Amino acid sequence: MILVGELSLWIALLMAAWTTTVSFAGGMQARPDLIKSGERAMYATFGFVVLASVGLWTALFTHDFSLKFVASFTSANLPKVYLFTAFWAGQEGSLLFWTLIMTMYAAIAVFTNRDKNRAMMPFVTGTLGVVALFFLMTMAFAENPFERLDWVPADGRGMNPQLQNPGMAAHPPMLYLGYVGTAVPFAFAIGALVTRQLDAQWLGAVRRWALVSWFFLTIGIVLGMWWAYVELGWAGYWAWDAVENSSFLPWLTVTAFLHSIMIQEKRGMLRKWNVTLVVLSFLLTILGTFITRSGVIESVHAFARSPIGNWFLGFLIAATAVTVYLVSTRLNDMQAKAELESMVSREAAFLYNNLVLVGICFATLWGTLFPILSEWVKGDKITVGPPFFNAVNGPLGLLLLALTGIGPLIAWRRASVANLQRQFTAPLIAGVVVFVALLALGMRDPYALASYLLAGFVFGTIIQEFVKGVGARRRMYSEGLFVAFFRLIGRNRRRYGGYIVHFGVVVLFCAFAGLMFRKDITATLKTGESVKMTDAYGHNWVFTSQGISFFEQLNRRVTAVTFDVTRDGKRMGLLSSEKRQHVNSRGEPTFEPSTEVGILESPKQDVYLVFTGAVDRDTAAVHINFNPLVWWVWFGGIVMAFGGLIVMWPQAQKAEREGGYVAQIPMGRELEPVGAGA
Amino acid sequence: MESRNPLTHRSGQSRRAFLLQVGALTAGTALVSRRASAQQPAAVAPGGEEMTSDSYKPVSRPPKPGAKPTMDAKQLEAFERELACPCPCTLDIYTCRTTDFSCGISPAVHGDIQRLVDGGYSGAEIMEALTGTYGDFILNAPRKEGFSLVAWFAPFAAVAIGGVGIGVLLRSWRMNAKRTESARPSRTAATTGETTLDATPEELAKLQAALREER
Repeated sequence: MILVGELSLWIALLMAAWTTTVSFAGGMQARPDLIKSGERAMYATFGFVVLASVGLWTALFTHDFSLKFVASFTSANLPKVYLFTAFWAGQEGSLLFWTLIMTMYAAIAVFTNRDKNRAMMPFVTGTLGVVALFFLMTMAFAENPFERLDWVPADGRGMNPQLQNPGMAAHPPMLYLGYVGTAVPFAFAIGALVTRQLDAQWLGAVRRWALVSWFFLTIGIVLGMWWAYVELGWAGYWAWDAVENSSFLPWLTVTAFLHSIMIQEKRGMLRKWNVTLVVLSFLLTILGTFITRSGVIESVHAFARSPIGNWFLGFLIAATAVTVYLVSTRLNDMQAKAELESMVSREAAFLYNNLVLVGICFATLWGTLFPILSEWVKGDKITVGPPFFNAVNGPLGLLLLALTGIGPLIAWRRASVANLQRQFTAPLIAGVVVFVALLALGMRDPYALASYLLAGFVFGTIIQEFVKGVGARRRMYSEGLFVAFFRLIGRNRRRYGGYIVHFGVVVLFCAFAGLMFRKDITATLKTGESVKMTDAYGHNWVFTSQGISFFEQLNRRVTAVTFDVTRDGKRMGLLSSEKRQHVNSRGEPTFEPSTEVGILESPKQDVYLVFTGAVDRDTAAVHINFNPLVWWVWFGGIVMAFGGLIVMWPQAQKAEREGGYVAQIPMGRELEPVGAGA
Repeated sequence: MESRNPLTHRSGQSRRAFLLQVGALTAGTALVSRRASAQQPAAVAPGGEEMTSDSYKPVSRPPKPGAKPTMDAKQLEAFERELACPCPCTLDIYTCRTTDFSCGISPAVHGDIQRLVDGGYSGAEIMEALTGTYGDFILNAPRKEGFSLVAWFAPFAAVAIGGVGIGVLLRSWRMNAKRTESARPSRTAATTGETTLDATPEELAKLQAALREER
């Protein structure tokens, strides 16, 4: 099977080359036979990549240490679940995994469009073929997962302990599903540009793909935050690391696109901008991959320095050149008569929303690349760390949060003063009430206060939209409260799913602001000794060391410290943190010792214990953190993903028209449902 | 004496001691330093060997006469949070040394800072000494002066330029709408009169049609 997998990789390469060649040729010569052949070749490419993947998984599960990849990232005693995830634990395997998802998406896109978009599909297929070909070539000629060693080691090196975590089983696949999802809209953009079919039709084809990409990127990023929090032991979940930033960049541009697409759908405007966002999202994905894999920027979890950085740079330059050429020669085809009845309208609010999203994207990219620029200009390398990103993106993030509330409140085309008064009064009161209450409770941090004020305002807008929508349905259809609520969402998933996503954003901002009140302490304690601390809520905590224990577990030797924890005199339980020395099947240490943190989790705050070292068999050095509201980060992420799922869920055309309400129709007129989303 | 004190900020020394302990207690063999392989966290994989020999540079000054510590523990923590650890962890000195990346650098830099603090040197003097040795790389954020000011200025400038651009764009769209409006004979009653509607006549017609279909 391993040999079949290896051969399949090469056949997939040939198939991708065939897909590209005949699809473009078929499209240009309008030859259905070539077009059909290209589409079949795309399916075949996917099939052979599946075989190659099965081959690599077989090698991993059978411990074939003659393969360099298997010997580098697994050992004979690695738990089975991590043999499965080892597939993406290293450069070569992760490239194959990327290609697997890429070709799967391509096959689905070709299949679902077999009777649609026929003029542009050859170019869509051809573009997807080019992307697949690039990845297959990178593997075949630079980072082949089936590369064999000259000798067969008795055991492999093993997997990095920090990757032996459930978060790493799910985080990379989710992120890749999101990353690769940007390739399909990109291919449609190229198809639309080549065929000059730049009306709303191509957008219809890519909207759901953009949502798929956004959905998986969101889950992937939040899972990555969770993994960093529970595994890396620095008591945080986002460090503005270059690799984290690389995943954040396309998320921002895809989010911007999902808002601006509404303006084109509703008003036919922003054609150039939408094409730009789609293309930019894909190029940022490739740029992020270049940053991650080239070693040009230091990162805590970057791949090792590798020559494939040059491959990605070349591909990035070529893809940019092609798209710039296509866009610049099709500017006239993207002209639309743009009209705006009022400067105070939802169109304007969405444009400013796009500006802030792209502004954050630029600031993040700028900060990530500035060390290179500085070295190039001045010859000195500098560090651009979290203080920079927090200082720059903090205010922009708050502006975005404000626009999250403002956008849905303003009517399309023109908002009257009466409309603004009616829509803004209750949410503004909600924001001010939250602000005053927190001020009265003693909160003084300006960023936190601003965050909670805006969070209260946006939450008020969401509640108001639901209350009005449910009320309208109850009046119009005489429905009960719950029926009206669920039908409101079900009949206009795009609009109300979007509000649920906004709610998730509010929750996240509240959780981020909670970290302003973080407290920590370092202590060195003998068995029986205690350390006391007061948290941000004023609770008094006592941690009493129960001593250090030593034991063996699975493929590791563990040194653990345990604390008995009380809060205001009430026992909260035991909290342990471990140092783990992983060993191979012969008992030899692999890697350096890693830390397993202990977390006492609650919605109010996490008590986060890090075993930093043992002074002797009886004395432990620890770092104890009180991290307020971290639980809400994970909850907010789940809410966002859930909202995204609602938006993505297919909806019958007829049902879409029923469901909302017209907030702006003045009293005295008949209240009627609107179908268009927020 | 100090090890008996349950509260200490000398965790760097504890960590080094711990690494030795773990080596003796668990494996009985020296820890094997290994080079990074793909997607191994770079800070872990290159090992202390590479980082300590290449990246750590001792910074020392003789104590000032009659010196007293210039910072308490909290001030020292805040000071160290402004400094980037020269290892590839991308964390600040305080976070890195109180975490486990098996980094030999952050405890060593902390030791240097602690000695300078105990030697009576102010924060500014210590910062100068550190940047004199490591360069601006040791700062966790670019300076707000010289070329580095561009780092701070550019994102806000870009957003401001974008904001002005959008303003101009919206204005031109508004002018287009005004030209179209003036070319039309008149608008329907839906957008005139005392009450301004937020729905256009076309939208209202669409709504009516949709409702008729529902019925």
